[in-house]
Amino acid sequence: MATETYSGIREDRPQTFNDAGGSSVDLTDRFKAGCFKAADRTFSQGLQCQQINSMAALLSLEDSAFVVHAPQGCIGCAAMANAGYHVGQAHRDVSIIRNARIIVTNLDEQDIILGGERKLHEAIEVAEEHYHPKMIFVFTSCASGIIGDDIEAVVASVQPDVDAIVVPIHCEGFKSKICASGFDAAFIAIKDYLLPKKRLPTEEGLINLFAPTSVSYKDQVEMERMLEVLGLHANYIPFYSSLERIRRIPAAQASTAICKVFADEFMAELYNEYGIPFSHTVMPIGIRNTDKWLRGIAAIVGKSEKAETYIESEHARVLPEIRRVRERLQGKRVFICGGTGRSFAAAALIEDYGMQLVGLETPTYNADAQIDIDHLNELHGDYVIDVANMQPFEQVNLVKRLKPDVFIGVAAWTAFLGIPTTHVLDMKRPTMGYNGILYLGDKMAERLDNPGFNKKLAAHKHLPYKQSWYDSDPFKFIKPLEA
Amino acid sequence: MSTITDSPRGTCALGGVNATITALERVIPIYHSGPGCCMQNSAGEAGQSGGRSPYQVGSVSTPCTNMIERDIVFGALDRLRETTEGALEIYDADAFFLLSGCTSGIIGDDVGSIAKEFQERGEAVYAIESPGFLGESYRGFELAFEAFLDQIVKPADEHEPDLVNLLGIMPYHNPFWQGNIEELTRILERLGLRVNTFFTRHQGIEDIRTSSRAALNVIVSPWLLRSAEEQYQERFGVPSLRWPGPPVGATDTTAFVRAVGETLHLDHTLVERVIAEEEDYVYSYLATTPEGLSWKRFAIVGDAATVVGVTRFLANDYSLTPAVAIVTDPMFRDDDKAAIARQLTTLEYAQPPKVVFTTDQWEISQELRLHDDVTLLIGSTNDRESAQESDAQYVPISYPVTDRLVFNRSIIGYRGSLTLIEDIFTDL
Repeated sequence: MATETYSGIREDRPQTFNDAGGSSVDLTDRFKAGCFKAADRTFSQGLQCQQINSMAALLSLEDSAFVVHAPQGCIGCAAMANAGYHVGQAHRDVSIIRNARIIVTNLDEQDIILGGERKLHEAIEVAEEHYHPKMIFVFTSCASGIIGDDIEAVVASVQPDVDAIVVPIHCEGFKSKICASGFDAAFIAIKDYLLPKKRLPTEEGLINLFAPTSVSYKDQVEMERMLEVLGLHANYIPFYSSLERIRRIPAAQASTAICKVFADEFMAELYNEYGIPFSHTVMPIGIRNTDKWLRGIAAIVGKSEKAETYIESEHARVLPEIRRVRERLQGKRVFICGGTGRSFAAAALIEDYGMQLVGLETPTYNADAQIDIDHLNELHGDYVIDVANMQPFEQVNLVKRLKPDVFIGVAAWTAFLGIPTTHVLDMKRPTMGYNGILYLGDKMAERLDNPGFNKKLAAHKHLPYKQSWYDSDPFKFIKPLEA
Repeated sequence: MSTITDSPRGTCALGGVNATITALERVIPIYHSGPGCCMQNSAGEAGQSGGRSPYQVGSVSTPCTNMIERDIVFGALDRLRETTEGALEIYDADAFFLLSGCTSGIIGDDVGSIAKEFQERGEAVYAIESPGFLGESYRGFELAFEAFLDQIVKPADEHEPDLVNLLGIMPYHNPFWQGNIEELTRILERLGLRVNTFFTRHQGIEDIRTSSRAALNVIVSPWLLRSAEEQYQERFGVPSLRWPGPPVGATDTTAFVRAVGETLHLDHTLVERVIAEEEDYVYSYLATTPEGLSWKRFAIVGDAATVVGVTRFLANDYSLTPAVAIVTDPMFRDDDKAAIARQLTTLEYAQPPKVVFTTDQWEISQELRLHDDVTLLIGSTNDRESAQESDAQYVPISYPVTDRLVFNRSIIGYRGSLTLIEDIFTDL
């Protein structure tokens, strides 16, 4: 075992910031000079918690049951993920569309006082008895964490009585404001509880392809197609995966991920523990990112030459098409908001179409983000960065101020400002690889040409903010923390 | 008291309070909770109710203190105070509700004390102790009404004989909540009444404040808001007419209309004229499809009000055969269950269905497996799996519904009953 174990809490990483705002050039200078100040918002809107990510990452696993040790409300997003799982099954031609097997211990007032360990024990037994799964994942919550229920002890005591492997996941919401921590919590548990302890004989050409839930089936097919061209085959983990496939992880020749913040730490652990090399690059959206992603994985398995030939042929195929769409999008001013992976991926996409970045909202500023920001600074000069996980109130203020031609991100709020909106996050349709680029380009161009819905919506309905807020400094609530 | 539950149909007390508060126009909730609660609540309530969400505030646009470890160790009332200051600065709203979550609830942060500070400054800031562990969504709906009655409703000098409060339909916890309120409002207005709905027609906090002026509460739920019913009577002198859910179809809706008419001593001729016209409207359509729906033996799964209304309509007015009715509300009072069972078993001609009470998805699926002769399964998206297993027709109408979008559709009352038949029709 490595001596230093990753905690799964992303705030613990050096030079990681969640609360900042300003010009991209200023922020870059400050970051590089090491004088980026830790800050906090004195007013904020809600966040996504890490438990949401832990559950979403695993919910589509076969032969699994999910025990949530929490009051009933902590399955709200699991219910949403379950709806996504229904769609994923439909796209994969499953005839009887299953529900994810989610069992909640339903902590109540009495449990808060007396502890909920007995209920957890019972819930695990119920999961075993009702579904006979191969894996039972146990998720913690704010409530179970604060009252101090000893999850490990319960799991150890129930394990001899059940056939399923019981896997506890420590994803208490209050432990992190960076929801991607929940991915780490899930992978830490997979490593500790499900992986064989020894390196398996390497299967030539087998690649661990780590993909978050937000990847559509079309995108999965595109990723697998690209790897096949290089003579590789994917072990697609953990979405729609299984215990057998998880156990094949240590047999892989190499690992890569579809998202910058998904399994990055896990891939490093796999390298440390099993010697499996990995490629950690970017989300393969847009030509530059797709090239970079493919070259990354090709290089570590000695397929660079094959990759170059393929990239050349794909460019020959899609670049003329991109030029056609580019005529419609060239020079348009863009504001981008997304998670860490998607926000930078969207920035790469607008590069293909010759668009101009005026604002970028991304959840975390750190050394990894700085690599992308450096590139964007070169291309777009100075633009506004809001280091925020959503915070729609800042977003609408900035968008109204910067007046972009199009907003790329969740449209729930900016649609009310009357500007065209579109997104690179589509869990049901293509966004990735060479085929995804064209779909997204067409979607953006059509949205820009036909903004009728948002314009008319804006004429009828307003967001609940005061006019004085739109006139205020968007970053006024971000205050440096006292040391 | 709560039990281990498989795929529960609802979120927590906080989720229920929030669903209720965010259905009020120009009212903003402020969460004193961990990060994630707002998103869990919105995804779990509005997100499971036919694909819509409150546009003013919801999910990650909800103000929140996002309590983390240090806040739990040291308490975080200062954070709540500054978050409330910020909310007052940026939102154009009529009222703010400070809502406690599990984190602040367990450590004992007193959200009421912060609300009081702001009230002393003349701000419309209220507080509801609503940590998730207090119960499930309906408990939150009840808590919201307790808060309205304690903190918002003002005593009235007199009652207005033509004003009624329409209560008992929980916002965002039923895909048709809005359309159903609209249909009942339409019918009550035909009787010459004015209707406080609180959650539709741009009503809001002011309508709650003056709801004590109503002559009657019309509560369309077999079991919800018992406490509110008592409070309205005791403190504000407003009596209630309780009906076991929104009536569906001509027979039950007519009975409902007559009951309202008698309770409020409305003009008999007017009431009967409205009934005659509405029934004629319904039957003028039904007359065009006397063989529209083939005979079906059906199972139904959902909240008590929906199961009661739809079962009675399909059995009494449409001659379908009810096999089993599964009521999924988490209820603890035996007399509520008995009253619901009575509604489901006193049918005009049909043999009564088996009545089952459970909120647990595994138990629901097991029960449905006992009825493999049903040809129609009316339920939630969670019940589609059972329908596919037994090759029954599947019609999603009860929460959670994620596979259809619902705006203003109603499946109750006179007109809504026609829509329900449209939804059940299939040419397969």
